[in-house]
Amino acid sequence: MLRFACDTGGTFTDLIVEDETGCLSMYKAATTPDDPIVGAINALRLAAEDRGLDLSDLLKEGEMFIHGTTHAINAIITGNTAKTGFFTTKGHPDILVIREGGRIEPFNFKVPYPEPYIPRSLTFEVPERINSNGEVITPLEEGVFLELLDQARDVGLEAISVCFLWSIANPVHEIRVGELITEHLPDVPFSLSHKLNPALREYRRASATSIDASLKPLMTDYLKNLTHRLQSEGFSGKTLVLTSQGGMIEAEEMASAPIHAINSGPSMAPIAGRYYAQLECDEDSLIVADTGGTTYDVSLVRKNRIPKTRETWIGQSFRGHMTGFPSIDIKSVGAGGGSIAKVDEGGILHVGPGSAGAVPGPVCYDMGGTEATLTDACLVLGYIDPSYFLGGEMNLNTNLAREVIEEQIARPLGLEINSAAASIVSVATENMVQAISEITVNQGIDPAESLLIGGGGAAGLNSTFIARRLGCPKLLIPVTGAGLSAYGAAISDLTSEFRSVFFATSDNWDAKGVNNNLKTLEARAKEFIDSAGKGSVSSKIEYTVEARYAGQVWEIDVPLRDFQFGKKYTLEQLVDDFHEVHNDIFAISDPDSSVEMVCWTAAVSCQMRAEDGVRNVTFSASDKSDERRLVYFDGHGELSTPIKKLGNIVTGKKDLGPAIVETPFTTIVIDPEASYQVSENNSVIIWP
Amino acid sequence: MNNGRANKLDGGKLSILSNRLGGICRKMGNTLLRTGRSGVLNRAKDFSCCIVTRDCELLTAEESLPIHVLSGPDLMARSMHEFHPDLKKGDVFLHNSPYHGDSHPADHTLLMPVIDDKGIHHFTLIAKAHQADIGNSIPTTYHGTARDVYEEGALIFPAVKVVEDYKPIDDIIRMCRMRIRVPDQWYGDFLAMLGAVFIGEKEMLAIGDETGWNLLHEFTDQWFDYSEQRMISAIKGMKGGTATAQSTHDAIPGTPKDGITITSKVKISPNSSTIEVDLTENPDALACGLNVSEACTRTSTMIGIFNSIDNSVPKNAGSFRRIAINLKEDGVVGIPKHPTSCSASTTNLADRVQNSTMRAMAAISDGLGMGEIGCFCPPSTSVVSGVDPRTRKPFVNQLFLGHTAGAGSPFQDAWMTMLHAGNGGMCYIDSVELDEVYTPLHVHTRRLIKDSEGAGRFRGAPGIEVEISPVNCGMEAGFVADGNINVPLGARGGGNAAPSDQRLKAKDGKINKLEQCSQVWIEDGETLISIACGGGGYGDPKTRDPNLVLKDVSEGLISRERAKNVYGVEVSADLNINEVETENLRVKSK
Repeated sequence: MLRFACDTGGTFTDLIVEDETGCLSMYKAATTPDDPIVGAINALRLAAEDRGLDLSDLLKEGEMFIHGTTHAINAIITGNTAKTGFFTTKGHPDILVIREGGRIEPFNFKVPYPEPYIPRSLTFEVPERINSNGEVITPLEEGVFLELLDQARDVGLEAISVCFLWSIANPVHEIRVGELITEHLPDVPFSLSHKLNPALREYRRASATSIDASLKPLMTDYLKNLTHRLQSEGFSGKTLVLTSQGGMIEAEEMASAPIHAINSGPSMAPIAGRYYAQLECDEDSLIVADTGGTTYDVSLVRKNRIPKTRETWIGQSFRGHMTGFPSIDIKSVGAGGGSIAKVDEGGILHVGPGSAGAVPGPVCYDMGGTEATLTDACLVLGYIDPSYFLGGEMNLNTNLAREVIEEQIARPLGLEINSAAASIVSVATENMVQAISEITVNQGIDPAESLLIGGGGAAGLNSTFIARRLGCPKLLIPVTGAGLSAYGAAISDLTSEFRSVFFATSDNWDAKGVNNNLKTLEARAKEFIDSAGKGSVSSKIEYTVEARYAGQVWEIDVPLRDFQFGKKYTLEQLVDDFHEVHNDIFAISDPDSSVEMVCWTAAVSCQMRAEDGVRNVTFSASDKSDERRLVYFDGHGELSTPIKKLGNIVTGKKDLGPAIVETPFTTIVIDPEASYQVSENNSVIIWP
Repeated sequence: MNNGRANKLDGGKLSILSNRLGGICRKMGNTLLRTGRSGVLNRAKDFSCCIVTRDCELLTAEESLPIHVLSGPDLMARSMHEFHPDLKKGDVFLHNSPYHGDSHPADHTLLMPVIDDKGIHHFTLIAKAHQADIGNSIPTTYHGTARDVYEEGALIFPAVKVVEDYKPIDDIIRMCRMRIRVPDQWYGDFLAMLGAVFIGEKEMLAIGDETGWNLLHEFTDQWFDYSEQRMISAIKGMKGGTATAQSTHDAIPGTPKDGITITSKVKISPNSSTIEVDLTENPDALACGLNVSEACTRTSTMIGIFNSIDNSVPKNAGSFRRIAINLKEDGVVGIPKHPTSCSASTTNLADRVQNSTMRAMAAISDGLGMGEIGCFCPPSTSVVSGVDPRTRKPFVNQLFLGHTAGAGSPFQDAWMTMLHAGNGGMCYIDSVELDEVYTPLHVHTRRLIKDSEGAGRFRGAPGIEVEISPVNCGMEAGFVADGNINVPLGARGGGNAAPSDQRLKAKDGKINKLEQCSQVWIEDGETLISIACGGGGYGDPKTRDPNLVLKDVSEGLISRERAKNVYGVEVSADLNINEVETENLRVKSK
C-alpha cells in the first residue's frame, strides 16, 4: 500500500510517496491557485508516470492521503470568507474592534487601524452574563436572542461566531444558543468559543471563534470536493489534513473546526527537522528554517519537543488578526530569494520585506523584474548556475542581474559589484538571523547549542552564513529540504492533543484534583488511540503543564515526568523543573515564589508504520559531471570553486570549502571557512 | 585601548549592526513582558528598553513607549556617571529621580553599564518600567494634587547602586519592601527588569567580543551621522514657517481655576534643516503633581515633531541634532527643581506639550501635525487598591481597561487605541476576563461611543465608555482625568472630540459626577463610570471621502444626522449615499 503526503504551497505543490518498503520519492508540480486540487492531482500524475502506472492504478494502491493546504489562510488574506455574524455578551460589542491594544512603529501614522475581523454592523449583543466563578449573573434572554437571530437571517449571514464572557467557566449559555441556532437556522454553520478554544482572554477566544466560523462554509466545500475527486479517481483510503499544531486529523473533523488548517503545512517543517536530527546527529535542540521565495519561516525543537505559541498573527503583529489558538511557534519574516534590495537616501542598504514574488520575479528571471533581489545577488556571486536553476527548468540571465546590482546597489554604496552583491547577502542573512533570535529568545533556546536545519528551495544559498553568525556548531541540509513540509507529513505520526484548564498552586497543592484531571486527559487520549489510531504499531502520550509564578500572566510549558503525582513523582520535582525552565528561558528564577499551574495537556501520537530502517528519498548519481567556476566569497574574493552534484559526492568523507553542492531542487553554498560532508542518507552536513 | 578610528563601515554593515542592536532591545523587552508580575507590566506592557552610548547618547530604543525614551536615558546615564565615576562590571543602578533625568518617580529604571573584561565601559543598557506602586502617600502612581515631592511620598532613587557583582544589594531591597505596597509583586517586577538588563548585557558583550569594541563605537558615530542625514532630508522636504499653538489642561486642585495653558512655538527651517520649539512662554511650576520633568518635556516635544517625520528616520542622538528645544528653568513644563512634584509627568501636561506642538506644525502646512490626541487618565485606567476578599490579600495595580484617544493625521484616520499622546498606542488593553480574575471587580460594559469622534477629512477615534464595580468588597480608585472642559481639538479645520467624564452610580441607581482628579472609594454595589475621550480630527470634515462617512454610519460609529450635519453627506435609511443632496450640502458649506 502507498501513502501520499501532499503539501500545497504558494508556488509549488510538493508530493512525497511512500511505498511498502518505506522508500520515498518526491515530486513537484506547479500550484494552481484557482483550483488547488488540480495541482495535487497533477503531482499524483507525475508519481504515477514515474511508476509507469495510470493515475487510478496509483490511487487504488493508496491507503492514506495527507494534505497540507493554504486554502484557509488564502481565503482570509483575500477576504473571501463567509459573511459571519459575531454574537457576544451584551455590553461588550467591541471585543474585535479594540482587541488587546498594542502597536508597532509608534511614529507611523500612515498605516490604518485594522478593521475588525467581523464588522460592528454584524455584531449582535446578547443579554446574558456569567462571572469568573461560573455563576450566572444575568440569565440568557432567549426571546431577545431569537429576535437577533431573525435579524441575522434577514441580513443573510452565512456563518455565526458565538463568544460570551466566561463561557470557559460555565458554557451553559453558549450551549443553549448553539441549540437555538441549530433549531432555527439549521443551514447556518456556527462555532462556540468554549468548545473551540477554551482559553482565558476574550479577544483571543472571540477571534479564534470568528475566524473558525467564517471558514466553515468554504472549507467544508473544499474538503468534500477533495475527497470526492480523489475517490472518483480511484482512491479509497483515508484523507487526512495537517493542522497548525503539527498533527493531522481526518478531513471531516477539519471541516468542523477549520481554524486548525491555518498553518497547515508549515507546521510540519519542525517534525521533518526533528526526524532528520535524530537520524543524523545527537542534537536535541534544533532551529528549523524554511526559505521560500518570499518568506522565511523559522520553527524550533527544544529537547525533542516542538514549542507552541498562542500568539499567531495572520499578517503583521497588531495590524493583522490573532488566531488566538495554540499552534506550533513559527516566526515568519519577509525574506527570501525574491527579497528586494534598496539603498536609501542616507546610503544604507535594506533587503526586503518587499519581494519580487514569483511574478515578475528577480531581474535575472527576465520576466519584467526591475529591482535587484537576493537571487540576483547570488547569481552575480556565482552561487547559482544560470543553466541549472531548479535542475535546469529555468535559464537565468546573469547580465541583467549584474546591470541592476551595479546600478542600484554598487554605485550608490560606492562598492565594486561583487562586494555590493555580498552585502545584499549579508543584510538578508542578518534579517533571517533576527527572525531566528526573536523566536529562540521567546522559547529559551541557545543557538550556540543548537543544530540549524536548512529547508526550502533557497536555503542552501546563505544557511552557512546564518549558522556561523548564530554560532550554531553545525548545519544540516536534508536531501528533501526543498519539500520539508510534505516530508514531515510523510514521516509523521497521527497525533492529537487534549487540553484542560485546572488551576492548581504549589502553595495549596491539590494532588487529588490534579491527578483526577490528568486521569481524565489520559482517558481521552486512550480513546483517540483506540479510534483514530486503530491499527497503529505503537502509541505514546506525553503530558505538559502551562505554569507561571504567582502574579505572572504568561505561562511557560513544563513537561511532566509522569501523569500521576505521588511518592515517586512529587510536587517538589515539578516546582524544581519549573524554576529550571524559567531560568533557562529568562535568565532569572524566583525560588521563594509560589508556582501556579493553569492548563494541562496530553499529547498523543500513534506511529502508523513500523520503523524498518530509514525513510528517505533515494538519490542516484547525476549524469552531469562536476566542474569548477569562479565564485566570490566575502573576505576572500573570487575563488575557483568546485561545483559538485550531490549524487556524485562520496558519503561520509569530510571535505573543506569552498564548494557548491547542487541538487535538482537546491544549491548549497559552502565558503572557504566551512567544512562539510554528505551523510549516508544524502544530507549535507556543514561545520560553519 | 586603541583610540584610533576603526575602518569606515559600508551601508550593508551599518544596516546589519543596527538590526542586531535593535534585536537586543527587543529581547530585553520580551523578557520583561513575560516575567513581570504586576498587570501594568505583564498585561499592559508599560515599559521600555534602550541602549545608550558611552557618551550617554541614545542609540536605539526599538519598540519602546515614546514618552519613556527619546530624552531621559541620556540624562539618567549622565547622572550615573556623575555619582559613580568608577563603574564596575556587574553593577546595576536604580533610578527614578525626575530631577536627574527620569520621566517620573513611578518609572523605576535600571541602568546597567556594559563593561568588558578589561574594565572599560562601552555602553549602558536601560530598562524602564512603570510600577504598580512606588510607596506614594496614597495608593496611586499619579498623585495629581501632591503639593511637592514630600506629599507625593515615593522613595526617590537618583542613580543608586542596587546590584553589585550581579547580586542585588539587600539594604536597598529591604528599604523598598518596607515602603512599597504589595512588596512581593514589586520584587517580582524588579527581578523581571534585572533579567532584562542581564540578558542585554550578555548580548552586548558577545557582540563586542565578536566585532571588536572599536568597530561598535565607529558604528555608533556613523549611525548617528546617517540618522542626522535622514533627518536633514526629511526637514528639507517640509514647508517652512513659524506657528504657535496652545493646549489647556483642565483645572484640578493646585492649578489656576482656568486650568494650565501650554504654549508651543514651532519654527521649521528647511534651509538650515532644523526645527526649533520654544516652550519658555509657559507658567512657573505649580504646587501640584502635574509638573513635567525635563526628560518628559523634551520627549513630548520631540514626539510631536517625529509624528510628522517619515517613520523610517531613526530616532536617536543623530536625528535629534536637528531639533532645538528651548526650556524654562522651574517652569510647569521645562526643568523643574526639587522638591517640585512631577508625579503625573509622563501623561497629562506632557500630552498637552505634544498636542500643542503637533497643532502648531499643522498650522504651518497641510501634511504636517495632527489633531489633539485624547486625554489621560480616565477612571478606566485608575490605579485600584484594596483587599481581595477571595484571598484576604491586599492588591494595588493600574488598570488599562479601555482607551482610544487616537487623533486624525494628514494621511489616515486615527490609530484607535493610542491610550494617550506620549504612549503612541504601545500599551496593551486589559482583557476583561483577566482583570476580573486578578482583581475583585466586575466590568459591566466597555463600548465605543457613537458621535464622539473629532470629525475631519481624517477623523479622530470615538470615545469609550467603561463601567466597573468591585465584587464583594470596597475598592479605592485613583485617577487624574483631563479633557472634560478642554476637549481634544481638531487641526486644520478638523472637529473636536466629545468631552471626557467620570461618574459614580450609587446602589439606588443615582448617578453623581466625580471630581476629575479623584481618589475615590467605591462600595460594593456601586459602579464607577468612565467616559474616556477620543481624539481630534484633521482637515475639514466636509472634504472627507463620502464612502468613508457611509462606512462609519453603517458601522454605527456615527449617526445619519451627524453624517449630514457635520460631514455634509446625506445617507439614506437603507445606507446609500444621496449624491445630489451631498453635493448640495457640501457646496453650501463652502
